[in-house]
Amino acid sequence: MIMKAQKRKLPPEDVEVSDRGSPFWESQRQFVFSVSLNKYQRGQELPEPSLRRSVLIANTLRQVSLEGCMAPPEDREVSQPPCSSSSAVQEGFFTAAAIHHSSVMFANSHSALASCPLLSLNYLSNCATSRSPASCHSNVPQSVKDEDEDWGSMSMDPDFSLSAAISSILTALDSTIDGSPQAAQRTPLRSLENLSGPSEGGVAWVKQGVRGYGGNWEPQDECRVRESSMEAMRSSYLTDLTVEDLFQDIDTSLLERDMGVLGLRGSGGGYPAGDDLLRPSSSSSPSFSAPPFSSQNHMREGLELEHLMEILVES
Amino acid sequence: MAGELLWKRGEGPTSLGVAGGNDFQWCFSQVKGAIDEDVAEADIISTVEFNYSGELLATGDKGGRVVIFQHEQESKNRPHLRGEYNVYSTFQSHEPEFDYLKSLEIEEKINKIRWLPQQNAAHFLLSTNDKTIKLWKISERDKRAEGYNLKDEDGRLRDPFRITSLRVPVLMPMDLMVEASPRRIFANAHTYHINSISVNSDHETYLSADDLRINLWHLEITDRSFNIVDIKPANMEELTEVITAAECHPHQCNVFVYSSSKGTIRLCDMRAAALCDRHSKFFEEPEDPSSRSFFSEIISSISDVKFSHSGRYMMTRDYLSVKVWDLNMENRPVETYQVHEYLRSKLCSLYENDCIFDKFECCWNGSDSAIMTGSYNNFFRMFDRNTRRDITLEASRESSKPRATLKPRKVSTGGKRKKDEISVDSLDFNKKILHTAWHPKDNVIAVAATNNLYIFQDKIN
Repeated sequence: MIMKAQKRKLPPEDVEVSDRGSPFWESQRQFVFSVSLNKYQRGQELPEPSLRRSVLIANTLRQVSLEGCMAPPEDREVSQPPCSSSSAVQEGFFTAAAIHHSSVMFANSHSALASCPLLSLNYLSNCATSRSPASCHSNVPQSVKDEDEDWGSMSMDPDFSLSAAISSILTALDSTIDGSPQAAQRTPLRSLENLSGPSEGGVAWVKQGVRGYGGNWEPQDECRVRESSMEAMRSSYLTDLTVEDLFQDIDTSLLERDMGVLGLRGSGGGYPAGDDLLRPSSSSSPSFSAPPFSSQNHMREGLELEHLMEILVES
Repeated sequence: MAGELLWKRGEGPTSLGVAGGNDFQWCFSQVKGAIDEDVAEADIISTVEFNYSGELLATGDKGGRVVIFQHEQESKNRPHLRGEYNVYSTFQSHEPEFDYLKSLEIEEKINKIRWLPQQNAAHFLLSTNDKTIKLWKISERDKRAEGYNLKDEDGRLRDPFRITSLRVPVLMPMDLMVEASPRRIFANAHTYHINSISVNSDHETYLSADDLRINLWHLEITDRSFNIVDIKPANMEELTEVITAAECHPHQCNVFVYSSSKGTIRLCDMRAAALCDRHSKFFEEPEDPSSRSFFSEIISSISDVKFSHSGRYMMTRDYLSVKVWDLNMENRPVETYQVHEYLRSKLCSLYENDCIFDKFECCWNGSDSAIMTGSYNNFFRMFDRNTRRDITLEASRESSKPRATLKPRKVSTGGKRKKDEISVDSLDFNKKILHTAWHPKDNVIAVAATNNLYIFQDKIN
């Protein structure tokens, strides 16, 4: 039942840990998170998942993710090594992206009459925006915090309408490419595809951020990452993305790196992801009018992403 | 109409038969089903139900079959023993179907059987799978007409011109034949999986509930039903709660309850509105913050709800406990019984192996003085509401000698395991007792253990 690529983490004791301050609480939380995610995905891959089971697992997943957001800031700053805070980031990605993907898989395998318990990711995005600045701040990997002081002031601005900015960018992108806002039969290009590759995701997302913030390369807060991906996912439910793509080694050190190195050129600029993005694809020319319930087509995803990158670069 | 009142004050079973008690002890009576270790999936029993008199006991299985047992009269030689239950009728209720629109297979597993009160010589029951409810008539035939004029004994038609005289057919006895015939088929009313059916006390209507909707049917009308509860949100992304069980009130034909996956029960009055989305009463116990965990919601999900025979109480089963509610008090149950509290520290593992999603049922005895529910390792538990005593028994082949008294079992929770106790880690979580039924009048219980049906009864000391 545990995914092959993921090392199973057992909590030190198989007991219920209700005390959040307990050192076992976080490990158990992560264990429950991974098991829940696994179950949710596998359940959605079934032709007709049990609705009660899906709802219970989805609620648990949401709760566990939420509690991960709301962990006491002191604990994180003081005792948590950088890798675990980045794991929270990964969890955010995985939760939203994988659940989204699973929902899509579910939708793809059913007619319109079938129910589709898509997760509402409001909890996660609300968590990202409503969380106290201190805890936001604490989620950033230590190295980034040290490098950039201006970041802190940005993250603490409560009026910063991040979600609105991201949404407008995505909408603009959508309309640029397929000429219409989110219609029922949407073309496959979605912001989620920006996360399709291990490093592609990071780079593409950062580039989007750049467009919105006028070239400010400050590394973004993890909760913004999460929220922007939430926004994207909530608005895009038709994609051929596979879970494997998402679970490839997303290297959160991308976010820690000095973004100035990446530059806006996008033609490689020393960053390996650029090569991946611009790697010529062997299949036919990209098509943006794929039917919504088409079967998975990784090649098409790669082509569309490449096309997107070309557009971003040209603009 | 109040319906057949089964609850009698002061009569009927009043105790659990706790060993050493002054009443009785439970002993093995019968076991039905194959003995092989290899259990065919289709043979797994999925529902058990006594009829109103207790004369008939019906089981449904995953293969879509219904087997009805009938209680034989007590033998004159052994008046202290109750009679046995023997197979009365077997029929295929539901077949696997294919939903072409959704490209999905519809399981033939019988989710629930509910008997109708007997009104004539025939017996009627409702059986349901995930999508379709069927009304079956079970009737006896022990006579055959012989001496027809228009056809001969083989059934071939006679040439009318050859008939020279007329005779009156006579009824000749024949071997008893029990026939089951589908009288009504109630289909196409549920998008989601049906989890409950319940016959109303008016004996004319019944309700059926799936994950998101409850429909009210008339037994005579199959082409339409009334939707009385609909909790489907406009945006399915916002779905966080589903209906898990529903039941009609035993006496008030306008009242029904339904339980949810969040541990709440809603009582609805059909006189208040045509659509009972707004409840009349809302039952929920406040969460104990000290026992909160990641699995709090899952274990609070109610798997069964049953009215008492009196109609004054209702009982709910969640993963770890059984709760008795007074219908007049909404903010907390009046009684809570821990079924297997020792599992609370194992919830993580039980979540991982999916056992935490098991749906246990519960039942009242005829006088509402005791309740019963199942557990793992083929254990089942009974609680006496008056004495507050409880007992754990096991349905196993080892203790299946005729009239053998069942020995109470105990799960050791501490470090030191006493003799005859079993430790939590030794429990077999594949042997789960999800379905149990208690005879409406006598101390006879039916316990479904995977593919076997155990019948236990009291032995008066």
